[in-house]
Amino acid sequence: MKFELDATALLPAIVMAAALIWAAPAAAQSAATAPDYAPFDVEALFGSTCGWCHSDAGREAGKGPQLMDSPRTDDYLRNRIKMGKEGAMPAFGTAFSDAQIDDIIKYIRALKPHQG
Amino acid sequence: MTKRSLALPIAVAFAATFAASSTFAQSVDTARIDAGGQNDWLTYHGSYKSYHYSPLAQINASNVSNLGVAWIHIPGRSTRGLQSMPLVADGVLYYTGSYSRTFALNGATGEVIWSYFPELDDALVARQTHSPYNRGVALGEGKVYVGTMDGRLIALDAKTGKVAWDTKLIDSQKLTVGFTGAPLYAKGTIVIGAQGGEWPGRGPIFGVDAATGKKKWEFLTVAGTDEAMKTWGNDSWRTGGGGGWMPGTYDSETSTIWWGTANPAPLYDWSGNDYKTQGARPGDNLYTSSVIGLDVDTGKLKFYHQELPHDAWDFDSAVGEFVMLDRDGQKLVVHPNKSGYIFVYDRSAALKNVWRITQNSNFVKNIDAKTGELIGRRDFSAGKVDEPLCPHISGGVSFNAGSYNPKTGLYYKLGQEWCMTLDVVKTTPVTAPQAQLNIGANFKIAPPPGGEIYGHLDARDPVTGAKKWEVRFPEPPLASVLSTGGNLVFVPDSRGVVHAYDAESGTELWNHSDGTGHQGGIISYSVGGKQYIAITAGFGGMASDDYAPTFGGVYKSMPRDDGALIVYSLK
Repeated sequence: MKFELDATALLPAIVMAAALIWAAPAAAQSAATAPDYAPFDVEALFGSTCGWCHSDAGREAGKGPQLMDSPRTDDYLRNRIKMGKEGAMPAFGTAFSDAQIDDIIKYIRALKPHQG
Repeated sequence: MTKRSLALPIAVAFAATFAASSTFAQSVDTARIDAGGQNDWLTYHGSYKSYHYSPLAQINASNVSNLGVAWIHIPGRSTRGLQSMPLVADGVLYYTGSYSRTFALNGATGEVIWSYFPELDDALVARQTHSPYNRGVALGEGKVYVGTMDGRLIALDAKTGKVAWDTKLIDSQKLTVGFTGAPLYAKGTIVIGAQGGEWPGRGPIFGVDAATGKKKWEFLTVAGTDEAMKTWGNDSWRTGGGGGWMPGTYDSETSTIWWGTANPAPLYDWSGNDYKTQGARPGDNLYTSSVIGLDVDTGKLKFYHQELPHDAWDFDSAVGEFVMLDRDGQKLVVHPNKSGYIFVYDRSAALKNVWRITQNSNFVKNIDAKTGELIGRRDFSAGKVDEPLCPHISGGVSFNAGSYNPKTGLYYKLGQEWCMTLDVVKTTPVTAPQAQLNIGANFKIAPPPGGEIYGHLDARDPVTGAKKWEVRFPEPPLASVLSTGGNLVFVPDSRGVVHAYDAESGTELWNHSDGTGHQGGIISYSVGGKQYIAITAGFGGMASDDYAPTFGGVYKSMPRDDGALIVYSLK
């Protein structure tokens, strides 16, 4: 699965990726039926869903912790995304497939401060 | 819609009758709520006039220093604190905690008369972002009405807490959203609005038969009429939003429900100045970010005013406060918009004035006080926004209510001074539920240009906005305000301190710590000739979750899963 970090090169991909994700309710609702080949744009996901709590697309703490340079293990992040935390973070286990959650973790691991 | 049997085991009702307890609720009806009895607090906003004012004067400016805790009730499982407005009828106090836990307490002693914990769809609740708090109940016809996050409206017998009916109104499994706001009782109808805003739904508001639980009508705040459908270009009504998640009020003279509606989705648009034809949702997006008047019997739209056409800032109109005033022969309605602009209408939502409570505001240059036109609006394109947006997404005012005191003629209202950095993200239409939010930006809270974040209690003329006095707070208070006939204004602040001020001068006369932050209701009532002040304490939620990372200090250790109802009286 292609994974890019260059935001300036991402806009067309964002549109396509998000279109594919959101145009497929079954994929969005069921991990079992989520196509593992679907492009998944995590940066767009932060702009639509995650960014209210994980500020600056995960680079800074907000209501939720800073994700850039997170000391947590991949397994911890995966479990938290799937299961959520009562009163703090929704559970996304039925919204995203395992492959999509892997992409979210890759995005978190690759987060860097903004240039300039 | 389904109705559930009274005997369903999922409804865990503990009914305990205390022979020594005070009288049970007598019938609460429209006329009684309209009159707003001196000793009671019969609807979310006090009475249909929505003053959040008690005429009781036993506790007053000369003796408030003797105020002390009479009793405390702990509701338990207060995930994200307490946000509820207690109600009182005939000496019995009714209130809710998180997960719609509902209690009836002896108003003089705090003794539990009954409690009711609805069994909820836990897996659904775990997926929700704006959850699991609840803002309170409605009373009427011998019943207590409460909404749930999994899309139900439940009626409980006011004497026993047993379920009278349980009506499923929305498919929360599909739409993710449910009900967190208190219902409103008026003329045999229970009105309740769904969450909306950030989700792909059409933001329904429901009218339900109070006696039977049968749905009478449903009004869609997203494209609910042919006229409104034309204001959502490119079928963007499918991305939805709207809703009406706070209770409005009722004008008994015209049988009209007044309700405030929430924002369209995505919250932030990348249209630039061409928002009528470009971007995520081209057009004005009716009836989002509007005040609407609905016929209480039919749900038919009678009038509306869209406070923010094409709201591109999440400064919606969902605040349910509609202060009904008679002034100089005019019948007026005062409604705060989340942006910090306060709108003044006549009783058919014709605009009479607009004034602003916040100092720091730049999403528009101004709003025309005669036409309501947004002057110099900032419509963003995709990418980083240079100048921070003010106010912050948590608003220039909270969803909680101010207080109008007919004795002083002043409106006591909290303003919030904070801003946000913003990077607008162009996304494609979100039309499938279960995706959680549809924001359209990354952002971070920021201080106002050249200053610090703060909050302020203003005493103002409700129609002109003329300010008489102001008290500042280092962090914006989020809770509701109470004023009384005892020349007092009470402000429960975010640090956990309750303050009492002289209503004429703003001089602080008393304060007391409740031990945790406030973000809910405050009322006054009387039982057996004794006046009480009841306050919900307990922090956590979409606005208050920002306090620990932003302000540190006491907020670092403040629980966000705890709460209490604290009731004061004279020692």
